[in-house]
Amino acid sequence: MNRLRLKLEIKSKSDNAPPMLLECKKLRFQYPGTRLHVFKELDFQISGPGFHALFGPSGVGKTTLAKMIGGKINGYAGKIATGKMKRILYTYNLERLPGWSSVREHLELNTPDESKHYVDDLIDSFGLQGVMDSRFAQLSLGQQNRTNLTRYLLQDFDLLIMDESLANVDELTKEKIILKLKHMFPERCFLYISHNVVEVAKFCKQILVLRSHHKTPQAVILKGQNHDGKQIIDDRALEHTMLEIVNAS
Amino acid sequence: MLHRRLYQFLIIYLSGIALLMVIKYSLNLSDYVIPGPGEVWQTARQFLPVYFLAVINTLSVAILGHILSICLATLVGVIGRLTIWVGSFIRVAAYNIQAYPIVAVAPIIFILLGDGLSSRLLIAAMICYFPLLLSFIGIFSEPISEIEHFFESTLRMNWRLQVKIRAFENINKLITVIVGSATLAMVGTIVAEFIAADAGIGYSIRIALFQSDLAKILVALFLIGICTSLYLVLLEWIGHMIQRRWEVPKGG
Repeated sequence: MNRLRLKLEIKSKSDNAPPMLLECKKLRFQYPGTRLHVFKELDFQISGPGFHALFGPSGVGKTTLAKMIGGKINGYAGKIATGKMKRILYTYNLERLPGWSSVREHLELNTPDESKHYVDDLIDSFGLQGVMDSRFAQLSLGQQNRTNLTRYLLQDFDLLIMDESLANVDELTKEKIILKLKHMFPERCFLYISHNVVEVAKFCKQILVLRSHHKTPQAVILKGQNHDGKQIIDDRALEHTMLEIVNAS
Repeated sequence: MLHRRLYQFLIIYLSGIALLMVIKYSLNLSDYVIPGPGEVWQTARQFLPVYFLAVINTLSVAILGHILSICLATLVGVIGRLTIWVGSFIRVAAYNIQAYPIVAVAPIIFILLGDGLSSRLLIAAMICYFPLLLSFIGIFSEPISEIEHFFESTLRMNWRLQVKIRAFENINKLITVIVGSATLAMVGTIVAEFIAADAGIGYSIRIALFQSDLAKILVALFLIGICTSLYLVLLEWIGHMIQRRWEVPKGG
């Protein structure tokens, strides 16, 4: 009886949690053995599903923050809340597939049944038809990154953190991929880490600009153009967003 | 590969013989101390078939001991890769025990097991086991984050997959250390036979030593060198086949 009550309480608590929320409160972190604080009182909030960005100069702590959100780094002070987002995946551009299987074999083996119907569409949109029978080492860097991203998109996730996952991919293909995943997974949340101001300003809904630890506040949230490929881009608004990002960082 | 190994051995062997002859004739030593080329040749003709069988006997034990030590090192390496206390304990124990000379323990093995096959096998396995174990523990304990990350994040990782990833990524190192330890297996077996055994080429060398018959020892060394080289070539060939099986041209 008590266990049932507890389950109901947990369920009601999780029902009350904001549906798609990524919130950091007074986050403090420094790597063990160093005196430098990566984060000092970091506060921000990103809400709702969609394609969000994490932007900032090199060495500012983007990957560290991403790993903390993804549960790969612990031992920090403060709070990271993810609301109802329980399945958080973190992917980065240096990942590799095991060398003993082809891309096709790997995807067949590691795609959950409920995502099988996405496979052909993603392979087609990501331009991977020609490399399905190749092994990972045989692919170009761009193809490797697209393949890696594809296998993550086929997993069950609420939040996917993409740490430079589209590095080495040409601009046109990159745009096609971003629009495709916005279209295919409108109910899910993405946190896209990139150094490209244009694509961040153009495609992202909310942009978390991370700044150096001695600046206050350390994070600024900006509104992106959230382009979905259906409407014409307002060049002036895009320029304005880009300027905001550059000024904020 | 075969030619290179055999040439290398023959060059070293003949250089050794030549050096002995230089010492013999320059110091005017008797045939009793260092036999002349004719006597070595006569001994070879007389004892080559017997010694060949003895070397094959030794090589069989060495191969068995080598296989045994590879299996054991894999098993302990797989357990030693664990981040829990068992893994730490095995790693520390392996590093400490390997520092102890196995030859010094050999008399205890002979006292307990006698001078039969089991003692030779055990000593051969132990002598090549520790270098293998240290390499295996190092390889299996080192995460390949850029491959393992996906399987860990999606909760698909299990110990078999982890070992497979780490072994596959370090296949060249594994092959090198296995080939390298083959010589140790042969050395271990000969040492065991030399200390106390009733068969094998080490046993024959011991008898030749008691007879102060250097010609017999030189014939035995020739056969040991040839057979060890053949075993190493076989292992290198297997390694080469495995590498070729998985080798792919890099993309770009």
